Amino acid sequence: MTSRTEGTSGTSGSPVAVQGVRVRPAGYSVVKAGPRGRFLLHRRASVVAAGLVVLLAAVCVAYLCVGESFVAPGEVVKVILGQPSSAELVVGTLRLPRMVVGLLVGVAFGVAGALIQTVARNPLASPDIIGISQGASALTVGAMTFGITSYTVLPYLSVLGGIAAAALVYVFAWRGGLHATRFVLIGIGFAVALRSVTTLFLTKGDYLVAQQAQIWMTGSLNGRGWSETAPIGWTLLVLLPAIAWAARAQRTVTMDDDTATGLGVRLGRVRLGLVALGVVLASVATGTAGPVDFVALLAPQIARRMTRTAQIPLLSSALLGAVIVVLGDLLARKLFSPTELPVGVLTAAVGAPYLIWLIIRGHRGRSGGTA
Amino acid sequence: MSPTTDAAQPGSRLTARSLTLAYEDRTVVHDLDLAVPDGQVTVIVGPNACGKSTTLRALGRLLRPRGGAVLLDGTELARIPTKQIARSIGLLPQTPVAPEAITVSDLVARGRQPHQSWWQQWSDEDERAVADAMSRTDVTALADRSVDELSGGQRQRVWIAMALAQDTDLLLLDEPTTYLDIAHQVEVLDLVRQLASPAEDGTRGRTVVTVLHDLNQAARYADRLVAMKEGRIVAEGAPGDIVTAELVAEVFGLEAVIVPDPVTGSPLVVPGAPWTPASPAPASPSASASSAASDPASASAPTPGKALRP
Repeated sequence: MTSRTEGTSGTSGSPVAVQGVRVRPAGYSVVKAGPRGRFLLHRRASVVAAGLVVLLAAVCVAYLCVGESFVAPGEVVKVILGQPSSAELVVGTLRLPRMVVGLLVGVAFGVAGALIQTVARNPLASPDIIGISQGASALTVGAMTFGITSYTVLPYLSVLGGIAAAALVYVFAWRGGLHATRFVLIGIGFAVALRSVTTLFLTKGDYLVAQQAQIWMTGSLNGRGWSETAPIGWTLLVLLPAIAWAARAQRTVTMDDDTATGLGVRLGRVRLGLVALGVVLASVATGTAGPVDFVALLAPQIARRMTRTAQIPLLSSALLGAVIVVLGDLLARKLFSPTELPVGVLTAAVGAPYLIWLIIRGHRGRSGGTA
Repeated sequence: MSPTTDAAQPGSRLTARSLTLAYEDRTVVHDLDLAVPDGQVTVIVGPNACGKSTTLRALGRLLRPRGGAVLLDGTELARIPTKQIARSIGLLPQTPVAPEAITVSDLVARGRQPHQSWWQQWSDEDERAVADAMSRTDVTALADRSVDELSGGQRQRVWIAMALAQDTDLLLLDEPTTYLDIAHQVEVLDLVRQLASPAEDGTRGRTVVTVLHDLNQAARYADRLVAMKEGRIVAEGAPGDIVTAELVAEVFGLEAVIVPDPVTGSPLVVPGAPWTPASPAPASPSASASSAASDPASASAPTPGKALRP
C-alpha cells in the first residue's frame, strides 16, 4: 500500500535489537517446510505430544493383552500385523475394534473440548456441561422410546440432537456478541432442561428400552465394533483440514475481542467455525459411545497444564482424550470383573472431583471467564 | 489518495466523515468530521463520557458507525478486509486481556498476526519487527517472563510493543497511561512522541491517535489537540493555539489559569480557584467556583477564568 510496507519503518531509524538476541516467541521453534512454509512449533508441547503417543501405544497394547483371558503382547502384535495367531478371535474380533472406537471417541472428545473451551475462554464450557451431550441424549433416548433402536440410525440422531442443542445455546447466548459467561450459564441451563426431557422419555418408555437407554447414556463401549468405527473415523478424517486450521485459529481467539479485531481477526466467523467444529466432533463421539462424561473437560485442561502453552494444545488434548477413554475402558472392564462397568462411570468418577476443584479454584483466583 | 476532492486535506490517511456513533439507542457521537494528520500525534481530550474513546474505537473499526463513515486512504473501513486494515492500523484497547500464562515474547509476536498465514507462521521480517518493537519499548530483557507476573508499567510497555510489532503506519492508543504512575506515564508518552518523529533518512514517523485524560499531558505531547464535549468536537488545532481558559471552561466546566509549561512552553492548565473550606450547603455563594467544576451544565458560568489571568 503506501509508505511503510516494505519494512522501512524500524530498521533505519531505531536502535535495532542486539545482535545474536533471538526474539522469537519464547519456547517456540521455527520449522521450515518447503521453500516458503514456516511453522511455529512449541518445543515443550511437541515433547509432551511425543510422550503421549508412547503412553497411548502402551495403554493400547495393555488394553489388547488384558481381559478375561490374558494374551501375551507378542501375540497381540502378531494379530495387529495380520499374522496367524491363536488370539485372533479374542484380540482381533473382540478387543481391537472396541479399542479403536474408544480411541477415536477419545480423540474427538479431546479436540471438541479444547475448541469449545478455547472459544468460551472457560474450562467449564465443555460439551458435556453446556448441553451438547444432553441434546444428543434427549433425541437418542426419545427415538429409542419410539421404537427406533437400530444402531445404524441412532448415531445420526444424536449428532443431530447435539448440533440442535448447540445451536439453541448459541442463539440464546448471542446478544450482539458472544459473552463467555453467558454462553456457559445458558448452556448449563439447557443441559438441565434437556436432561429432564430425557428422564421424561425414560419414564414414559418401555422398561427394556429404558434400561438399554440408561447404559447408552452413561457412555459405554460395550458391544462396539468395526461398524461403529466407520462413521467417526470418516468424520475425523474429513475434518482433518478443519482441525489443522483450528489449531492455528485458536491462537487468535485467546486475546480479548478488541485486540483480536485490531489484529485483523474476523472474530465472529472464527469463533463460529471453531464452535461448529467442536460441536460436530462432540456430537459424533456421543453418537458413537454415548456421553462419556468429563473426557472433553479433563483432556484439554490436563494437556494445557502439561504443555504450559498460552492456549489449549489441540494435539495433546486429542491424544490425552484417547488415553483417558482407552485406559478408562480397560479399567472399567477389569476392575470389577466379571461385571463390566460402562466407561462413562469411570471417567465421571475421575472427572467430577476435578470439576469441583476447578470451580473452587476459579472462585478463589482469576476465573478468566469473561472479557 | 482519494479521488474526491472534498475529502481530507492532503496528508490524512485516516478521516472521519459525518460520523455518528451510538450504543443501542443512545447516540454518543454526533456528525463528527475529523482528519488525522499523517506523521503527527493527535490527542483527543474531553470530559468523561464525551465520546472520545468511542470515536477512537470507530477509527479502529471496533465500532460500526450508525451514520457517516471512517475512511482509510479514501475507502470506507467497512469495505476493506479487516486483515488488510490491520496492516495499516494498529490499536491498543484500554484494558487488553492477555491469554493466561503467555510469555512476553509470545504476546509481542502475536502483533505479527496480520502479516502471517497458516502456511507462513513466522518470517525473518516477523523476527525483525518483534525484536525492534521489544527494544524500542525496552522489554527485550523480559522476553521469557510470563506477562502475568509483570508490574503494571512493564505490562503496558509489552502491550505497546505488541502494537508496534504489527508495524502499522497508524497507531490508535486508548488511554495508554491509565493505571501507570507518573514516571511510567511520561515514559510511555515519550515513546509515543518518538514513534511519530521522522527517521534520520527523512521518512516521516508513524501517525498516532490517542485518548488522554490528563489535559496537561495532552497539551505537552500533542501535535494536534482535539477537544470533544457531548459527542462533538469543540476545538481542534495545535495545543498552543487552542488551549485557553475559555476552552477549558467550555469543555470541562473548570475555571482555570493557563501558564506556559516551564519545561516545554506548552500550555499548562492550572485550576483557577483555590480550595476553600466550603460548607456543604449548595446555596453558599463562595462555593460557586467549585460547583461549576463538578456540574457540566453550568459550564457557561458567568465567570470564566480569563479574569483571573495574571
